[in-house]
Amino acid sequence: MIDLTKADTSPAWCPGCGNFALLKTFDKALDAADIDRTKLVLVSGIGQAAKLPHYTKGNVFNGLHGRAVPAATGIKLANHELTVVITSGDGDMYGEGGNHLLHALRRNIGIKAFVHDNQVYGLTKGQASPTSDPGFVTKVQTRGVTSAPLNPLAMAIVEDCSFVARSFTGAPDHLEEMMVAALRHDGGFALLDILQPCPSFNRRNTFRWYRERVKPIGDPHDPYDREAALRLAFTWGEEIPIGIYYRSDRPSFESQLPVLSDGPMATR
Amino acid sequence: MSVTIRIAGEAGQGVQTTGGLLVEALAGLGLSVASTQSYMSRVRGGLNWYDVRIDSRPLYAGTRKADLLVALTDVALEALGGQVERGGLILYNGRQGDDAVAIDFGAVAEQAGGSKLYANTVAAGAVFALLGYGADRLGSLLSARFEKKGTEVVSANRACAQKGAELAAAHAGKLQAPAPGGSVARPVYDGASAIGLGAATAGVRLVTAYPMTPGTATLTYLAGVADEYGIVVEQAEDEIAAVNMICGAAYAGVAALTTTSGGGFALMAEGLSLAGIMELPIVVLIAQRPGPATGLPTRTGQQDLLFAVRAGHGEFARAIFAPGTVAQCFDLTRRAFEAAHKHQTPVVILTDQFLQDLQQTCDVLPADAPPIDRHIVTGPAPDYVRYAVTESGISPRAIPGGPALVVCDSDEHTADGHITESLDAHLAQQDKRMRKQRGMLTECLPPQRYGVEDAETLLLTWGSTYGPAREAVDLLVEAGASVAMLHFAQVWPLDASAVRSAIGGPARLISVEGNQTGQFATLLRSIGALGDCELLTNYSGLPFTGGEIAERVSG
Repeated sequence: MIDLTKADTSPAWCPGCGNFALLKTFDKALDAADIDRTKLVLVSGIGQAAKLPHYTKGNVFNGLHGRAVPAATGIKLANHELTVVITSGDGDMYGEGGNHLLHALRRNIGIKAFVHDNQVYGLTKGQASPTSDPGFVTKVQTRGVTSAPLNPLAMAIVEDCSFVARSFTGAPDHLEEMMVAALRHDGGFALLDILQPCPSFNRRNTFRWYRERVKPIGDPHDPYDREAALRLAFTWGEEIPIGIYYRSDRPSFESQLPVLSDGPMATR
Repeated sequence: MSVTIRIAGEAGQGVQTTGGLLVEALAGLGLSVASTQSYMSRVRGGLNWYDVRIDSRPLYAGTRKADLLVALTDVALEALGGQVERGGLILYNGRQGDDAVAIDFGAVAEQAGGSKLYANTVAAGAVFALLGYGADRLGSLLSARFEKKGTEVVSANRACAQKGAELAAAHAGKLQAPAPGGSVARPVYDGASAIGLGAATAGVRLVTAYPMTPGTATLTYLAGVADEYGIVVEQAEDEIAAVNMICGAAYAGVAALTTTSGGGFALMAEGLSLAGIMELPIVVLIAQRPGPATGLPTRTGQQDLLFAVRAGHGEFARAIFAPGTVAQCFDLTRRAFEAAHKHQTPVVILTDQFLQDLQQTCDVLPADAPPIDRHIVTGPAPDYVRYAVTESGISPRAIPGGPALVVCDSDEHTADGHITESLDAHLAQQDKRMRKQRGMLTECLPPQRYGVEDAETLLLTWGSTYGPAREAVDLLVEAGASVAMLHFAQVWPLDASAVRSAIGGPARLISVEGNQTGQFATLLRSIGALGDCELLTNYSGLPFTGGEIAERVSG
């Protein structure tokens, strides 16, 4: 048998990939939020971002492409005392798994979704993603993307998701702050969209492109103001706001299930 | 001799209410009851019928013709009037005659009970009289049923039943109905609920599904008992979500179930494969209906056997159970959960519309049966790995939240669950997973034989054809034929040599199947357990009856 052990190095990411910064910040945020790694489940689908759970310490459910959200939902229902964090990419979460995300937002189940959003498909080598900007040319979208990009933050706000935020891998302190806030959020679904460059396949939305545009949300912003939050979600182009766009006090899905009041089902 | 009462009318006209009332009332007389339902995929109109068959002997299936047709509409009379046995009766709003009883149910209900809503009760009262049974038993059932709605509703119902009986008095006792079996009411269950009760007692904690006929009946049953048994029931956004949710729940340590039909199962194929490589104990209920695609949504068939055996990409261990009676629906659902947890792999329960809706008198199903063993190791060592390579292929199963980390991947993985492209690791894990199939094989349910020993003709049956085939064997043996049947309640994995010896060498071998191509015969051939055989198939959408099989075997 050919021995591929030495070839099978990890991580499987390109030099300069935003995932490195994201992973480093993620580990810091988990510690800062005092997360017990034995009570942490990292859930992902498929893609370069979805490999992150293998490169840190926690329980891992690296499932099917696009299906991180329903798997995480089942895990949270089985044992609602676990901290369930999805770390997966824009293709996985917004494309293949878009329908699941939409309904998880409706349920407001206590899952944290950290979406690595680089506006391109990495593992399949450079096709458009649901968040690619119009005009983005690839080997498949040869005349450029014509579909309107998905606006995940606006979608989450419209569905009254209880925590909606955006950050950037090039602003590690800000990213850590957002991750900690999401990890500490106790009232249901938390969506954190994380802008990150893909140096191999996205030459349009480069590190520099993001750095010149991202800007922390200025004071004063009331995250409970849904209309103001939507205005932030529609701000894209010359300026991209980062920070907590929206919060809602809607009860979480699991808090409304009387069956769970006796403790986690998994340990009964 | 059995008697079949057929209530036929439009959707929304109370066909189910009347049928359900009769089933309960007749089982209350200590009779054996088997009821089947035929309905259209619509909420109003059309033609639905509910057959209630009674006998003093155990019953396993329905009949093609009825002894008493209660036609609530002209369409019902036109479509089903020709399907009444010689010497039978028709009860309808029409002309009175030797073989016809005329009652204007609505008008009588309004007169005797003050509302057309009681039309069903008038019909039930008339049916009881025609069968020669006293109205007392029906009356006390009505009292019990409507007690909560107040004395007025109770007395209106009782008056309507009484009036129905009076109007049918001229023909009373004309049908050769079996004598009541005593004062002890026989318990009645339908297949869908028996599966639900089996799952609930087994300890299912998460049930998630996208509604799809005829699987929905089990989902609905479980939603009804969810608080009692401590179950979370969630309607998923689609079948892909449903199967992935139960995969997540199984990983985290709870018994989990999804219910669907062929079309929904098609969407679950990738999730089934996920449970295969991640070694997750999930249970999937497929209640079959005829396809392809949307097909005939409310009819019955056995067209998804090979699909269930082969579904999911790649190769992995699985078991498939196919109950043949309502009691087996309960037992095999529990067994499905046991097998899934012991072997940490997906298990499918294959039933169909006929068996989901079949109501059958049987022994009491133990609602307090103990939960199954989830085979979870407690307090694993810190160096625990999820996919330790073992002789049996079964690795010690820990769940997240304990002292050890539990790592699972849909990619090929090393023993510690992490992604790998090592071909050696792949072979070690693939072989380990497939070794579980061997263990499952040793626990495989042997086929059950019924009928004449060393019979000249042997019927091969699986799943829900058990009932009609058993009745066919009885009919044929009574007529002097040398016939037996072999019933498979587990259709995968199959032990080829055990199957060969169970079949033996009958002069005539017939595979009786609810599909066009003889999928079970194909499956047996694929493992080298069967050579040539005849096919006796029914893919019409309606279930087999004993009479039909007997006729086609002897014809």
